Amino acid sequence: MRSRRDVLKSAVLGGGAGVVAATALGSLGPEAAFATTSGPELEPGTPDPDFVEGRIRSIKDNTLFVLGSNMVFHRIRVVDGTSLWKLGPVPFDQAKPGDGLYARGVRMPDGLLAAESVWLNIVNIKGHITNIKDQTLHLDHNGKEVLCHVVAGKSVAIRSDAPPSADLSMLKVSQHVQILGAWRPDTNEVDIATVFSPH
Amino acid sequence: MHGIAASQPYVIALFLVWAGLMKLLSRRMRAGAGHTALARLAGPARAVPAFRLVALAELAVAAVLLLPPLLPLEAAAAAALCAGFLAYLVYAHVAAPTASCGCLGAHSRPVDLRAFARAAFLLVASLLAIPADPGPPLATLALAEAAVLLALSAELDRHWLIPLRRLLVRLRRPLAAPPPAEVPLATSLHLLYRSPAYCSASAQLTTDVQDTWDEDGLRFVVYGARERTAVFAVPLTGDDPSAVRVSLVREPTGV
Repeated sequence: MRSRRDVLKSAVLGGGAGVVAATALGSLGPEAAFATTSGPELEPGTPDPDFVEGRIRSIKDNTLFVLGSNMVFHRIRVVDGTSLWKLGPVPFDQAKPGDGLYARGVRMPDGLLAAESVWLNIVNIKGHITNIKDQTLHLDHNGKEVLCHVVAGKSVAIRSDAPPSADLSMLKVSQHVQILGAWRPDTNEVDIATVFSPH
Repeated sequence: MHGIAASQPYVIALFLVWAGLMKLLSRRMRAGAGHTALARLAGPARAVPAFRLVALAELAVAAVLLLPPLLPLEAAAAAALCAGFLAYLVYAHVAAPTASCGCLGAHSRPVDLRAFARAAFLLVASLLAIPADPGPPLATLALAEAAVLLALSAELDRHWLIPLRRLLVRLRRPLAAPPPAEVPLATSLHLLYRSPAYCSASAQLTTDVQDTWDEDGLRFVVYGARERTAVFAVPLTGDDPSAVRVSLVREPTGV
């Protein structure tokens, strides 16, 4: 019996192409592709019903019970096709109560959000490096110290517009950086996914 | 106490002169006055005059401290001024936690523990100076105190702390880890995002990365694309985006 990965591998190696052939999409021209992505028009300023932000209060089976920062309660259904991010793609069992999340999906008539993508503890912070010690960047973010940990094999640095590199040794004390990473809940610590360095 | 009380006026006067001159003369300080906690206290329009007033008080107290004879009243005036600084820092910490204090020069850092420690140190020094002390000042004590106060001044960090930390980083190389055996996923995704394959399929993608694995020098990256699945094959070596291949397949559930 072939695994799902084998099927996908043979599909991309057998029939895979440099670009998606129009026939693979049925009659989808560019205008049709845009037509399917645009949902009902949202009034400016109103919340997007297909987006949820908050922290996980509890997990039951494949449903996350999430309290938004505006104290609105959400239920999020995670299915086989849902992508989860926590410093990289992770399986569902990595979602823990207390994790912060952003989720995007399709709102069901009963209010449940069928998630397509869930990003756990994702943060995007700017600041300047005050010190570098033991695989950790000390970041001054608006006067607050944030400890940013380098995770071997995951953390990369993007310097100017060069390709990402696992070598972070060019980072300097007092330079400005932007860090995309995963927050460690209820701490001032972050695991680094990407450090963007302007020079 | 011989000499201890007599040493204090010099240390206090040094800092008051520095603070007063910075407030009066620094152009950067005047430009940044609106962002300090004093602007919050006195109103943005009155921040610069308020700083000048404080500077004149600081210089006046410094002058009487330095000019003999030293009277207990002069040390008491310095103590009152330092107590005022502490009260102002408490106000700044509570009312404008993101504003800088504007104490000894322009910088954008909010009031922190070091600012409190410096003001408290100056207050204790002024209190120590009140008792009459016939002894000659202790030069080493005064220098040590000045060094502690300078170390507590965030305004000077760029002159010694940052170069020191840079030097330590250069010597210890805390981030020089051996290159990981695996290519980080972000590197593959960077190549993927620039590929014609991804551009042609990106309008179909509805999820972030669902699954990824390496096989035969290729990294397979799987995305959801509505009822289909988009699978990309990204070469692990090389940087040619056109080498990326894509296929949209029906979700192979149950296979």
